[in-house]
Amino acid sequence: MTGISAIGPALGFWRNVRVRRFAIQTAFLGLVAAFGYYLFDQARDLELGFDFLDGRAGFDISHQFGTSYGPNDRRLDLYLAGIVNTIRLAGVGIILATLLGLVAGVARLSGNWLVSRLALVYVETVRNTPLLVQIIFWYIAVFLQLPRISDSINLPPDTISVLPFIEIPFISFDFAFLSVRGLALPWATTEDGFGLWLILLFIAAAAAVAVRFWRAQRQERTGQPSHPTWWLLGTFALIAFLGFAIAGFPLDLDRPEVGERSYDGGIRVTAEFAALLVALVTYTGAFIAEIVRGSLQAVPKGQTEASAAVGLNPFQRLSLVTLPQALRIMIPPITSQYLNLTKNSSLAVAIAFPELVGVSRTIINNTGQTIPMFLIVMATYLLMSLIISLVMNTIHSRFTLETR
Amino acid sequence: MTVLSRPAATITLRTARRWAYENLFSSPANSVLTVLTLLVIGVALFGVLRFAFFSAEWEVIVVNRRQFFVGRYPVEEVFRAWIVVFMISGMAGLSLGLWSKPGVRTAAALGILLIPVFLFIRGGEVAALTAGAVGLFVLSHVAARAVVEWRENVDLLRTLTIVSWLIAFLVAMFILGEVPRLLWGGLLLTMILAVAGIVLSFPLGILLALGRASTFPVVRIFCVGYIEIIRGVPLITLLFMAQFILPLMIEPERSISALGFSVPITGYEMDNVVRALAAVTLFSAAYLAEVIRGGLQAVPRGQVEAAKALGLSTTTILALIVLPQALRAVIPSLVGQFISLFKDTSLVAIAGLTDLLGVTRTVTAQQAFIGKQAEVLLFAALLYWIVAFSMSRASQRLERILGVGER
Repeated sequence: MTGISAIGPALGFWRNVRVRRFAIQTAFLGLVAAFGYYLFDQARDLELGFDFLDGRAGFDISHQFGTSYGPNDRRLDLYLAGIVNTIRLAGVGIILATLLGLVAGVARLSGNWLVSRLALVYVETVRNTPLLVQIIFWYIAVFLQLPRISDSINLPPDTISVLPFIEIPFISFDFAFLSVRGLALPWATTEDGFGLWLILLFIAAAAAVAVRFWRAQRQERTGQPSHPTWWLLGTFALIAFLGFAIAGFPLDLDRPEVGERSYDGGIRVTAEFAALLVALVTYTGAFIAEIVRGSLQAVPKGQTEASAAVGLNPFQRLSLVTLPQALRIMIPPITSQYLNLTKNSSLAVAIAFPELVGVSRTIINNTGQTIPMFLIVMATYLLMSLIISLVMNTIHSRFTLETR
Repeated sequence: MTVLSRPAATITLRTARRWAYENLFSSPANSVLTVLTLLVIGVALFGVLRFAFFSAEWEVIVVNRRQFFVGRYPVEEVFRAWIVVFMISGMAGLSLGLWSKPGVRTAAALGILLIPVFLFIRGGEVAALTAGAVGLFVLSHVAARAVVEWRENVDLLRTLTIVSWLIAFLVAMFILGEVPRLLWGGLLLTMILAVAGIVLSFPLGILLALGRASTFPVVRIFCVGYIEIIRGVPLITLLFMAQFILPLMIEPERSISALGFSVPITGYEMDNVVRALAAVTLFSAAYLAEVIRGGLQAVPRGQVEAAKALGLSTTTILALIVLPQALRAVIPSLVGQFISLFKDTSLVAIAGLTDLLGVTRTVTAQQAFIGKQAEVLLFAALLYWIVAFSMSRASQRLERILGVGER
C-alpha cells in the first residue's frame, strides 16, 4: 500500500471547506457590522427619531388633490399630500404611457413607410435625451411660454390652421382652456340620483355578462356567429342609458370658466403637472414602444400568416392573435418601465412640483432630520414598487395560465 | 464576379412608383394614413424650421460655447481638455479601424453630426483644433485599416488597444485633475461623471452579481438586499442622501473612532463632484448587477463543470470561463445601462453642479440671454443625443462583430 491517505495530516483545518465558508462569511458579516456600527456611531449625536413628523409643518405646498393642508398642519399630513401627488402623476402617467407606447410600437412595425419612420424618429429622439432635460424643456420652453390666463387658448381652437398659411374658422365651444396657469377641462358633477344610477350600472354589468355567456353558448351550440362581445357592450350600454334616464340624468357637465387668476369649475391641471405628465408619458412611451415592437416581433410569423389565411383583417389579426401572445412576453419589461416612471416622477423637484421627494426635502431643510426622512422616503418607494409589481405579476400569471 | 452581390439598385420612375405603391398606398386605409401622417410631419417640420431659422436666436450658444463644453474651466487650462480630446479621437479612430469596417453611411452620419458643431463654433482657433481632432480620427483610422490589411493577426494590437483605453482614462483624469474639481463643468463634467461612473460601477456590479449568485448565504442576502433597495428608490434620493449624509460620514480632519480604537484619517475634502459620482456609481452598480446576473444565468452549467474537471481554480473559472461568456451575452443591456447612466448624470444639476444641464441655467441667467431657454435646452439636448445615440449604435456594431445570438 502506498502512503497516500485522503485525510492526510498535511492538510490543516483551514483547508476544510466548512471552516473556510464559516470564516469567510463571519469576516464579511464583521466588516458589514463594523461599517454599520461606524455609521450608527456617527449619527448618534444627531438625536434621531420620528417625532418630528407630528410637529407643525410651517410650510405650504402648492398642488394638493382633495386636501388643503397648510403650515399649521402636521408634517406627516403634508408628506401624505406629497405621496398623493406622486401617485396621481404615476397613475395617470402609466395609463397614458401604455396607450402611447402601444400605438407607437405598433406603428414601428407598420407596413406604411412614413408611419414606421415617424415612430422611429420619435423613439430614437426621446430615448436618447435625458428625461430631466425634457421635463425642464416642456416646463420652461413650452408651458411657461403659453399666454396669460386672460388670453387663454380655447380648445378646440377657434380656427384650425391646416397648412401654415390656410386657416379655417371653427365653431368655438369654450370646451377647454390652455394658458400659463395650466389646462382646464370639463368634468362631470354628480346630482341626486347618482347612487341609484350606480346600482343600476351594477345590474347592467351583471346582465351584460349573462347575455355574453348566453351568446357564447349559442355560438358554440349552433356554430352561428353570435358576436358575444358586441352583445355584451350593447346590453350594458342600453341598460346604462335607460338607468341614466330613470335616475333623472344625475350627471351634469361642469364646464371650466376663465377666472381672474385661476380657472373655476371643471377639472384643472397646473402647468407644472401638465409639463411633468407630458415629459414622463412621452419618455416612458418611447421605451414601452420598443418593448411592444420587440414582443410583437417575437410572435412567430406563422401566427399572422395563419390568421390572414383564416380571413381575419389586419386589425383583427393584431388584436385577436398577435397582441394577446405578445402581451405575455411584454408584461415583465413593461412592469419595470412602470416602476421607472414612478421613480422618475421624483424629478418633479427640478420644477418645484411638490411630490414626495420635494416635500421630504423641505421637511429635511426645516428639521435637519435627514436620515429618518430618507428611511421613510425609501420605505414609501419600496412599498409603491411592491404594489405595482404585485398587480402586474397577477395580470401576468393570468395571461400565462390562459394560454398553453 | 460574386453570385451574392445584389443587382445594382437603379432608381427609375417606375421602381419609385412601385415602391410608393407598396409602402404608402397599398390600400385605401393606408392611403388615408399616409396623407394624415404627411400632414402631421408637414406641420411639425414647418414649426421646427420656423423656430430654428426665424424665431430662435442662436447667438446665446455661439457666445457661450466654452461654457457648454467646459463650464468654468479656466481659459488658460482649456488646452488640457484639448489634449484629452485629441487622445480620445486618435484612439477612437484606431479602435474603429481595428474592429470594424465602417461603411459609407457611418462616414456620412459622422459628417452630418459635425455640421451643427462647426456652425456654432465660428472661431478660427477652435475650428482649427476641432478640424485637427477630426483629422487625427480619420488618420488613425486609416492607419489602423492599413495595419489590419497588412497583417492577418491583430489580436495583440486589439488587446493593447483595450489596455491603452484604461491607461488613457487614468492619464486623462491626471491631465484634467490639475484644475480643481469644482471648476469642472459643461459637457466635460458630464463626460467625466459618465466615464468614471461606468469605470467604477462596472466592477462593483460584477462583484454584486457574483455575490448574489454566491453559495454563501450571508454574502447573498447582503447583495440581494443592496440591489433591491437601490433599485427600489429614485436616483435623486441617493444624490440628496450623498449630499447630506456623506459629509457626516467622512469629515475632513477627523478620526474614526469605533470600538474604543481611534484611527485618524487624513483630511480628504469631499466636494460635490465626488459625492455625486459616489451616488451615481452606487446606483448604477445595482442595475448593472441585475443585467450581469442575467448573463451569468445564460452560461450553461456544463461550462463550469468542465472547467472544474480540468482542475481550474474558482477565480480562474470566473475570470476565464464564466464572465467572458456572461458579459458577451448581455452586451446590449450593458450598453443600455451605460446610456442610462450617461443620461442620469444630468440629475447632478439638481444637486447644484454645473454639468451640461446645469450650464443651461447659468447661461440663461445672463442678463443678455434671459428667455433663451428653448435654444439653450435644445442645444444641450442635441449634445446629449449625439453621445447617447453614438453609444447605442456602437453597441449594435459590437454585437454584430462579436456575433451575439449567432452561436
